[in-house]
Amino acid sequence: MRNKLTYILMSLVIATAVSVTTMYTAAPISVSLLTTEKTYTAGDRITLSFSKVPNKKPKLYIASSYGTTLLDPEVTETAFLYHVPSLISNKASTVNWKLMLKDNFLTGNFTITPILEVKSMESYLGPPSINAGGDDYTMLTVLPTDSLDNVLPDSTKVAIKRQFKRTFKTDTVLTHNLYSYKLIYSTKQAGRIFTASNCLGIDSKEKDVNVMPDTPVNFKIDVNRLHDYADGNQIAEMYTSQIKDGHNNIVSDGTYVTFYITNKKGYVLKTSGNTINGKATARIIHPDYAEHWQIKAYVEGMAESNTISIDFEQVVADFETQFSKNNREVTIGPIKSYMDQMIPDGLIIELKIYDNQTLVNTFTTATRDGYAAFTLKQVDVPNNTYNITVELAGINKTYTSKTLW
Amino acid sequence: MGALEKSNKYLIAALLIGVAFNGASVFFTIENTYDALIHLFFADHYANSWFEPWNYEWYTGFTVMSYPPLVHQSIGLFSYIGGLKFGLFTVAFIAIILFITGVYRFAKLMTSNRTAAGYAAILAALSSSFLETLHIFGQLPSIVGISVLMHALPEIYLWLKTGRYRYFFTCLSLISVTVTSHHVTPIFGMVFFIFPLIGMVIMDASREQVNSMKEVTFKVFLRTFFKLFKRIVMFGFSSLIIIVTCILPYWINSKKNPITQVPIPHGSRDNFLEVTSSGLVFFLIPWGVLLLILPYIFYRYYSKRYLFFGLSITILTILGTGGTTPIPIKVLGETAFNILTLDRFTLWASIMSLPLLGEFAYRFVEGDYKTYLQNRFGAIYHRLLGGFLAVLYLFMIVFTMSLGYFRPSQPQKIKMLPIVNFLNQDQHDHWRFLTLGFGDQMAWLSAQTNALTVDGNYHSARRLPELTTRAIERLENSKFRGVEGIGSLQQFLTTPEKYNLKYIFSNDKFYDPILYFCGWQRLRQLENGIMVWEKLNVPPLSSILPKDDVATWQKILWGIMPVTTVIIAFLLNVQMLLYRSLKMKPSFASYLKFQNNYTKFSKGVSISIHLWSLVVMACVAYGMYIFYMKNVSQISPENAIKAYYDHLDFKRFEDAHALIDPKSDIDIAQYMLEVSVTDGLLSSYAKMDAIKTEFIARDDSTATAIVHTKWITPLERVNKDFHKQLVKRKGKWYLLPDEVNADLPPDQLYSDNVTSYFNQGRRRITTEQTYHEDILKQPVLEIITAKLVKYDNHYAIIGEIQNVDDVPADVVIKGTLYNNDNRELATFNAKDVLKHKLMPKEVTSFRINFEGIAWTNVEDTIPKSFNPDEFTPIELEEQPTKFNLQAAGNVSSSDLYKDIVLSKLAINDSVITGNLFNSGLEEITIPQLVISYYNSEKELLFVDQKYIKEGIRQERKQPFEYPIPQPEIMQIISSDMDNCYVNGLPNEDISNKMVPNRIPKHSYNMLQPLEHPYFSFVKMELNNYIGNPN
Repeated sequence: MRNKLTYILMSLVIATAVSVTTMYTAAPISVSLLTTEKTYTAGDRITLSFSKVPNKKPKLYIASSYGTTLLDPEVTETAFLYHVPSLISNKASTVNWKLMLKDNFLTGNFTITPILEVKSMESYLGPPSINAGGDDYTMLTVLPTDSLDNVLPDSTKVAIKRQFKRTFKTDTVLTHNLYSYKLIYSTKQAGRIFTASNCLGIDSKEKDVNVMPDTPVNFKIDVNRLHDYADGNQIAEMYTSQIKDGHNNIVSDGTYVTFYITNKKGYVLKTSGNTINGKATARIIHPDYAEHWQIKAYVEGMAESNTISIDFEQVVADFETQFSKNNREVTIGPIKSYMDQMIPDGLIIELKIYDNQTLVNTFTTATRDGYAAFTLKQVDVPNNTYNITVELAGINKTYTSKTLW
Repeated sequence: MGALEKSNKYLIAALLIGVAFNGASVFFTIENTYDALIHLFFADHYANSWFEPWNYEWYTGFTVMSYPPLVHQSIGLFSYIGGLKFGLFTVAFIAIILFITGVYRFAKLMTSNRTAAGYAAILAALSSSFLETLHIFGQLPSIVGISVLMHALPEIYLWLKTGRYRYFFTCLSLISVTVTSHHVTPIFGMVFFIFPLIGMVIMDASREQVNSMKEVTFKVFLRTFFKLFKRIVMFGFSSLIIIVTCILPYWINSKKNPITQVPIPHGSRDNFLEVTSSGLVFFLIPWGVLLLILPYIFYRYYSKRYLFFGLSITILTILGTGGTTPIPIKVLGETAFNILTLDRFTLWASIMSLPLLGEFAYRFVEGDYKTYLQNRFGAIYHRLLGGFLAVLYLFMIVFTMSLGYFRPSQPQKIKMLPIVNFLNQDQHDHWRFLTLGFGDQMAWLSAQTNALTVDGNYHSARRLPELTTRAIERLENSKFRGVEGIGSLQQFLTTPEKYNLKYIFSNDKFYDPILYFCGWQRLRQLENGIMVWEKLNVPPLSSILPKDDVATWQKILWGIMPVTTVIIAFLLNVQMLLYRSLKMKPSFASYLKFQNNYTKFSKGVSISIHLWSLVVMACVAYGMYIFYMKNVSQISPENAIKAYYDHLDFKRFEDAHALIDPKSDIDIAQYMLEVSVTDGLLSSYAKMDAIKTEFIARDDSTATAIVHTKWITPLERVNKDFHKQLVKRKGKWYLLPDEVNADLPPDQLYSDNVTSYFNQGRRRITTEQTYHEDILKQPVLEIITAKLVKYDNHYAIIGEIQNVDDVPADVVIKGTLYNNDNRELATFNAKDVLKHKLMPKEVTSFRINFEGIAWTNVEDTIPKSFNPDEFTPIELEEQPTKFNLQAAGNVSSSDLYKDIVLSKLAINDSVITGNLFNSGLEEITIPQLVISYYNSEKELLFVDQKYIKEGIRQERKQPFEYPIPQPEIMQIISSDMDNCYVNGLPNEDISNKMVPNRIPKHSYNMLQPLEHPYFSFVKMELNNYIGNPN
């Protein structure tokens, strides 16, 4: 109990002592802000004046959105004058200040508002190309700024204008958090949308966005041949109808179309074309034997064509083979085409040599002036009796029991 | 010797001749040498940042502390007066003067005869080893080093002999200059020049204590040795300290970055009998005329006084023979043998022989040997012999000097200004560049620009494991290092973003295909004919690059020490130099006492010189006969075939035509037509690697051969067999001509419409960053499928990717493998198993191989014949289970030729054969097939590719044959496409937005069915490279 009492007494003494000391040391130095203005326009000269305190030269700490700094006062007879540097006074912002008196931190703030006159319109538009159809969009962002590069206050009106073909449209959007923006959705039709914006009488420069055709839809193909003979020389041309997207736009130039050709044996050949004005053309050389082709074209994953079939007529009906010089010189020809003309140069001829059923060797050559010749060298074909097959233009002829020596 | 000495007119003549000849010709030779431009690059470095040893320009940064700096810094200093080349030539002049005077002083020391020394100086000024080192190799530091060492030798002698401290300081000052100019010279110079010199000093000192040389016994020698021991030790330790401290940063750097590279083959390590060209350059030329008087040199050096020099020159001679005998490798050990270039031993041996060459000449021209010969064989013989030796000497000079003219070691001189301008334009120097086919001129380019290259020309400083693990000096000339070099180059080309490598300057068409198939595109040809290649999607260099910093004291020491040593050496020696050259004071160095009075030329030596010369000349004659027989093209069918393919390889069509049977009536015009129509990988981009002829039938007048040829192409190793028939007409063998392709296109003139594109780049001319609206949108790609698969022991990411945008795209695909714990295991780019350029809506299959850095393990033996198409699969510590795929598209307007058609197809016995047809307006140089395989559910399993060796001309067809791969293991590890990104955005989002109504597996019913254990369907895609676009 006694202890408790002592504690209470002790703490009382301490408390009194503390309060007495604080009373004495906290003698307030009266300093006050003399400037009354609370709002300035960017670019104004700003001077804060404070009532003078003798023998002191306190610094003023100011913080704006641009940065912070310490100012020394200009001491006049009656006041401290703090000139806010243009670095800070040119920037629209709320400026907080604090007078750095050791015992008395006086604080306050003032606001710098932008000049309500637009000097430049910075605008961004992206992405620079979008797909037609109305789902894809691009965004126009406009930042109207004053002559000191301050953005305008929220809810400043910005007119966003756009033009597509013959339609004009103007939207008014309000700036928010420094900038204004507008989503521009694509049109059904491909083309170019031009945009411009205006704020407080000042106009931006032109920005444009390309509306590109959407994914293609199914199309038709056809084939163009000089004749329908399988001469292994002429070139067949396959072409598509004008390929369009779902909104009747012609697909962009260069769209890659693959033509698949399935032949009689079930092998898939292929050729390709890039569209120009929506039409793709692909070429392929005629086969050198009678063929039946089924052709279908694809734009992978997006569109396909109808299937067409074409036939090639056999041109070489028959041919003769002569063996000479110990059967080592094989001459084939004349090989004649559909009008009995000599077949154009370059028809491939394959000669296979079999010893009974086993293939000994294969030789390939091409015709020249309707003829072709093979010289069977000792090295490649040793002396023996063979079955010799000659194949050209899909025709297979076998000469049995030919003895080479 | 009281009277003033006369000027040595021989030395003056030597200086006049030496400076006039070498000084005048150096302007035409040194820029074409191997090393000079490298030294110039280093000099440029010092001129720009004297105290900063880190150089960013080569490799990924390296330190110039890896080479002693004196010569580079001197060139740098002189460059402040008149530019870099002025500095180079000035230093070359200084080197010439130092060398001639050095030889004079060394010879005077050795022969104690001023006339003999004068002869030595004159002969040295034009000696083939000096000419080769200066005019062919351009090894300035080496010349300066050995020259200053020769200047130091008399001072060392005098210090040891007289013990006067003046000589102690002069010799040490000269050794310090040697050290700062070349590091190897003082170390080996110590062993091969200074040790024997010490022996000679002891001999001389011993001689003074007795009456004749005969009385110098081992006991006397040992006694003298202990008497001089203090001076020797003082000198030894002081020079050791100088060698260590003068270039201390060099030693620190060598210890920190030891040379752990795969040795680069050097001709000086060859067996000179097998590789005769190396024998010529590294043995015959440096020895030159000395070879004939070898018996004299050895006889003299094995006399008692020079005994130790005799031992030294023997070792040097043997070491200089490289791989000819197994001794050098045993003496030096494998490591030193593979790091050192052994030609320097021959150089030193030849320089050590120079005093005796002078002595011999003196004795031959006006001394006892003349008398001996005249007495024995008459004056005529002496004159004839003199004439013969003089002609031989002149021949060696002319031959050595013309070597660079007839067998240029460098490509034609390239005008660098257009390249320098290109790099300065449009911030092109914000990326690294690479040169191809520039030779050592790349160093000169680097000296002129601030742009960085991934390559470099000082291979000891290479740091990237991609480079150090291969025996290639530079990426630049990788084709000369065979496929191994190209393998290294491919890694850089495939993942250039790792090195910020965006531009390639190509002076060699050979590399074009590999550049193209690795996804590079031609930008334009500069006015000097250099083609600029560019890679899209490579980020610029960051503004702060890493460097290995060293302590400031090292930088200061490195910057100040070399020039200080020169100044100190100059100050210490200038007095003596003036006395000596102006003959202001009579000088009599103590070594002049040991003069040989040259009275009686030994008969035995004379005979052995004659015999030896006969042997040498017989060897040379036999060598020439063998050379002739091997190279007479029509003496045997082997020679004819070899010569024919050699001519074809070097495009000497006229010579090749001369080997075609004249009875076949093919004139040169027809032959040229037939040869010139064949373009393609093999005819335009292949370098013959090996040829072997196998005769299957042969008699006196005809022969049939299978010619097995191996070719290196930039893409793959090609083995091709040709059947050739030969006939003998009038004792000469001729080849019968081959058949030509008779394919006749149907149209004479035809037209085609194509969509072509142009990218404006910056629409406004500005030095600022490109305007926002001038930046093109990246084309949107869509990854249709992607899978991680394992085949055999390789992992690969395969898939299909489509350009779903409206503009053509260049495609870069980067794959990363992860294990189950999401730890990254490997990352690599798709190399050539895809079409890099896609038209709108075009699809390509792709495969990413995960390549390791080949042969990183020391145990891995480097295969002798590496195939560029092969790759070293990366060694993964753990099993990859997931992958990440990043695809990036960039608008591309080049290489969009698509008119290649699959016009015929047949599959049998796991071989696909068919025809490709060129339906467009360009000649296809290299067609490529990209082949995808699917399982029975039409799921992608594997992607492969095949280059067709022959090109396809317009409206022509080209057959191909492709064996279907038969992997042993084929499994899909992951088909999870969650981590696929396109241009940084998730693939799925893109897919949903761009092609929401995609028809999955759309054209899969057009897949070609196949019979195979793993694969049920196959798809063929066609790609092509146009070598010469119209």
